[in-house]
Formats: sequence, structure tokens, C-alpha cells
Amino acid sequence: MRSTLWQKLFSWLDERLGLNDAYKNLLDRPEPKGNWWNTLGSASLFLFILQAVTGIFLTVYYTPSPDHAYDSIQYIMTEVQFGWLVRGIHHWSASLMVIVVFIHMLRVFFTASYKYPRELTWLIGIGLLLLTVGMGFTGYLLPWHQMAYWATTVGTQIAGSVPFAGEFILKSLRGGPDLSALTLQRFFAAHIWILPALLVALIGVHLYLIIRHGESHFPDKED
Amino acid sequence: MTDETKKKINAKYERELLHGERFWPDSLFKDAIVALGIFIFLVLLATFVGVHDSPKADPSDTSYVPRPEWYFLFLFKFLALYGQIPVFGKIEWVATVLIPGIAIGLLTLLPFIDKSPQRYYAKRAMPIAIMTIMVLGMVLLTMTADVPTVAADGSGLLGNLQTVAGLIVPSLAYIAFVGMAYTLKENAVRAIAWTTALAAALMIGFTAATLALYQPAAVAVIEIPTTLADQIVAGQDLYSVHCVECHGDDGKVEEITGVEGLEGKKISIISSKDVLYTVNDASMAEIIAYGRPDSGMNPFGKAYNPEGLTRSEIDYVVTFMRYTWDDRFEAPYIAPLYPPLAEGEVPSYSVHIEPIVKRYCISCHRPGKDNNNYLMTSYEELLTTGDNASHNLISNDPTSYLLQVIQQIPITDPASGEELIGVMPPNKALKPEIVEVFVRWVQAGMPK
Repeated sequence: MRSTLWQKLFSWLDERLGLNDAYKNLLDRPEPKGNWWNTLGSASLFLFILQAVTGIFLTVYYTPSPDHAYDSIQYIMTEVQFGWLVRGIHHWSASLMVIVVFIHMLRVFFTASYKYPRELTWLIGIGLLLLTVGMGFTGYLLPWHQMAYWATTVGTQIAGSVPFAGEFILKSLRGGPDLSALTLQRFFAAHIWILPALLVALIGVHLYLIIRHGESHFPDKED
Repeated sequence: MTDETKKKINAKYERELLHGERFWPDSLFKDAIVALGIFIFLVLLATFVGVHDSPKADPSDTSYVPRPEWYFLFLFKFLALYGQIPVFGKIEWVATVLIPGIAIGLLTLLPFIDKSPQRYYAKRAMPIAIMTIMVLGMVLLTMTADVPTVAADGSGLLGNLQTVAGLIVPSLAYIAFVGMAYTLKENAVRAIAWTTALAAALMIGFTAATLALYQPAAVAVIEIPTTLADQIVAGQDLYSVHCVECHGDDGKVEEITGVEGLEGKKISIISSKDVLYTVNDASMAEIIAYGRPDSGMNPFGKAYNPEGLTRSEIDYVVTFMRYTWDDRFEAPYIAPLYPPLAEGEVPSYSVHIEPIVKRYCISCHRPGKDNNNYLMTSYEELLTTGDNASHNLISNDPTSYLLQVIQQIPITDPASGEELIGVMPPNKALKPEIVEVFVRWVQAGMPK
């Protein structure tokens, strides 16, 4: 019989993976009465996954070199099947992610959810906010068009105004005194490897802490 | 925080859980709806708004006004306003590093600064007020990002309004908050709330005044050719303006004639296999940008030639040359230069004449060239400029100079018999159907 086969398979997997325990601990949790503002965190996570998926598709055609970056994106936009859709989503989703993550931070601030026992969740959340902005900053250069080039020139200049360490920071961001192929290459590396790796690690801890302490309730006069 | 308080907080949370919901399915259901909504919203944006185009990066174009991503605009504006403060405004790193650094540091360490266990809004007037003013300031600074601090006529009014809205009012509000928290202690809530409301109203008011007084300059919209056909046409237009004078419209010129300074120079036939098969796109773009001084090729890159071409434009010219002359490339369908004329149809300047003039005449008939002062870059110039302006285009007169010269009849001075104007274009006659367009246009009285 069909059902017993599935049951057998399930119980075999359950013995080894602990599916029932996972269901109990991860999904079947009690939560305080939530409202729509509570969805901002999961919306940020959804946007991150969307960015990861569309970003991976984009790397199939994108070339991080000053000679080809612009043309490869033109190619994605005009020649690749649904390339315009993938790039369009990646582009708009980047801006939306900054907004959603920021409003998520404001929600946590205004409901004072950062207080005991969730201090560490807040700390990591700030890290995630800064990394999201960093993703925006590094990703903006990659199309290698006029807006991107000059925005990054000015952006790195500002980072270079730090007293004493400024010149070192400027040179390490640009890979030299001026924006060049090296800058594009290292912004690309930061955008697709370094920052996403940090993001994934911090998201993991953030989620663990949320499950550990549960979602905070909306404060009332007693709190 | 004492263990007593911790126990109380945890007990309260347990009570909240009793009349709460389940993570699955209640919360996840809401999360899924929001995710779906976001996805649909993004697909609509990608489909109907698309991604704003910008030309290829051009490090030599220092006239480009840089502008950061929109979510950094508030910082940019803050910097500009800070720069207006006398003395202190000159120490840049205070605004670029110190103040943002302190803000981020405070935000990060928030749980360790605000250690009271209280969570209800009315008990947290101070942090809520500070954050409200901060976020409002960020939004307002972003909105005024395009307004200059010094207007074109040198008046500093706009800059002063922005400084009041973006720096002075928030700073005063912050000082007031701290003062109230220390003097009024527990009773400060009401005072802080009113101060916040007042400060917010002032900030919004001054920003609204700034935006109302500001008249944005018209921004020229640059059309970026995205499809191959568009790029070829863009390249052909640029080629017609910058290259035809020496290389001819078919690129077959071997010896330059009629160009000051390069008269009699022997040049390569750029539409020949010799050139197209041996020079790749990158080298071709470099030759155009840097020139070849020994063989008479001037540099056309923006960095070496003030009237020169940007990186994108040079790429279009190369694309045009490839798809027009290189037999290994097959050109896509390209719309005709002007819509073909039907029997009895009257051509107009904007639809028919302008594209023709742009391709065949403008190369020489623009400022700074040897052209008897006859400029052809606009409708008005076409009719009114030149040493022979009164004869060039006469409504319904087949002896108009322009019509004669394009029909291979040079204009001679009746008194001395000397040639006044040679045939046009000097090297290669226009196709009969193009001459026909001009003839019909003059017959109809040169309609715009």
C-alpha cells in the first residue's frame, strides 16, 4: 500500500533526521499575538534569499572587468531570456531590502524589543543592517556606468577622510590611488563572497536567537 | 538588572504566550502573504519601470556630477550643510567620520545604554523622541538632496533654510530633550512629546519652504541606445559628425582633401578588410580615443579633445563600423533614416530633413569649421545663418543655393565668374531620393 510506504520512508528519515523534533522545536512554537509589523524580519530574509537567487543567475553572464562589465549587463538586459526580469528584480529588491531592514530596525526600536533577553539579537541585527548597506554600496559599482563610477569615487573619497588611517582605507578600498579594474574586482569579490558569507553567518545566529527567546510581545502599560 | 526583574519579565512573556498564536501556521501565513506581495511588487517594478540606464563609465569625464545611491543621499546633504558652518565646517572628518560613527556606535550599544526594563511607549519618551527626530531628519535631507545650498544667483537663502531644517532645529531639540530629562525627571514625558511635535513641525515647514522656493533646472534626458540596431544608428550619427570630414561617409577615403591642417594626408581605408580584419574592437576604440599622431588621426577621447566622445560613444562608432563594413558581421534590421515619402507627401524638417542633415551635412556645417558660416544644427540656423543666408533657402524657388549645390551645380559669382560655393557634399553626391526630399521641402516652403 502506498501510504505505508510513505509512512515507512518518513519514519526511516525521522529516526535519522529527527523530523518530528524539528517540527516541534522550529514550527509548532507558541508566539505572542503578533501583528503585521512582525513580518518585517521574515520579509528581510525573503528579500535576502531573492537577492541571492537572482544574484547567482546574474553571475552566469556578468563579467567583472572594466572592458566587459557594462557590455555584459547590456547583454543580460537585451539578449538573455528573462535577463531583464532577473536584473530588474535584483536592482529593485536591493533598494527595497535597505528600506525593509531599516524599518524592521525601527519597529524593534519603537517596541523596545532590544531589551532583556534580546540584547544580542539587536547587536547582530545592527551588523546585518550595516552589511546590507555594504552590499548596496559594493553592488552599485558593478554595472560600471557613469553613475556607479562617480558615486563610488565620491563614496570611497569620504571613507578616505578618516584622520590618519584615511589614505590606507582609501587605497585598500580602491586597490590603488584611483578607481580601476582592481576596484571593480574587489567590490565584486566583496559583493558575491565576503559580505554574503558574513550575512549568512549572522542571519543564522539571528534566527537561532529569535527561536531561543521567542518573538517579543507588543508592550502594554504593565511593561 | 536584578534577577527579580528578569523573573518578572519572563513571567510576563509566559502569560503573553498563553493568549498568543502558533508560529506555524499563524505567523508563517502572514509572512508568506507579505513575501508574495513583495515579489509581485518587484516583478511589476522590473516590468513597468525597469532599470534606469546610464552611459558607460568614463574616468576622463570629470564634468560628471556624482550622486550616490539614494540611501546615502541624506549623508551627502548632511555633509554639504555641515560644510556651511564657519570654522568647524572646514574639518571634514567631523561630519564624514565622527558624527556618523557616534550615531552608529550609539545605535549598536543601545541595549547597554538604555538599561531600564521599561518597554511601554509613555515610559520611553526620550529615546523615542530622539529616534523620531533623527529619522525625520534623514527623510527630509533625502528629499532636499537635489536642492543646492548656494543658488545659481549666489543667494544663500535655500542653503540657510535647509541648515535650519536639517541641522539647527534637530540640534536644539536634542539639547532641549536632555535639559528636560534632567530638570523635570519623571514629568518630562509631556514636555518631550510637545517639543518633538514642535521640532518636527518646524523641520517639515522649513523643508516645505525650501522645496517650494526651489526651481529645479531642466535636466536633459540622455537616451541610451540599448539594442544593437540603436547602437549602430547612434554610431552612424556620431560617425557622420566626427569622422566623415576626413574618412568620407563610406570610409573609403585614401587621401584627405579640404580639411585644414591635414590636406593631402594619406590615410588607411578604414572600411577595408585590411583594417577591419587586423584591428579588434578594443584597439579600434583605443585608436579613436588616443589618436595616431603619425598618420594624421586626431584623438577623439574626451580627455584629449574637449569636443570629443565618451567611452560609450566610441563603442557605438566601433559597432557601427563593424556591422556596416565588416563582412563577418551581419547587421540587424535598421529603420530607414527617414520615412519614405509617398506620392505628393510634403516632407517636414523634424521628420525628414533633420536626420538627413545630421548624417550628411553637420560634420562641416557646425561651429568651428570652414563652412562660410552656414550652420545647420537647428531649423532656425538652417534658414538664417551663413554668408549667403538670403539665397540659401528661398520658398518654392528651385534656384535656392542649397538645392543647386546638392544637384551638383556650383554657384558662381556672376560678376567675376569665380566659384562661390562648390558642390555639396564636396566628395560624394547625395542619392537622388534624398535630393528629391530637399526639392519637395523647398517647394512646400520649408515646413518645420
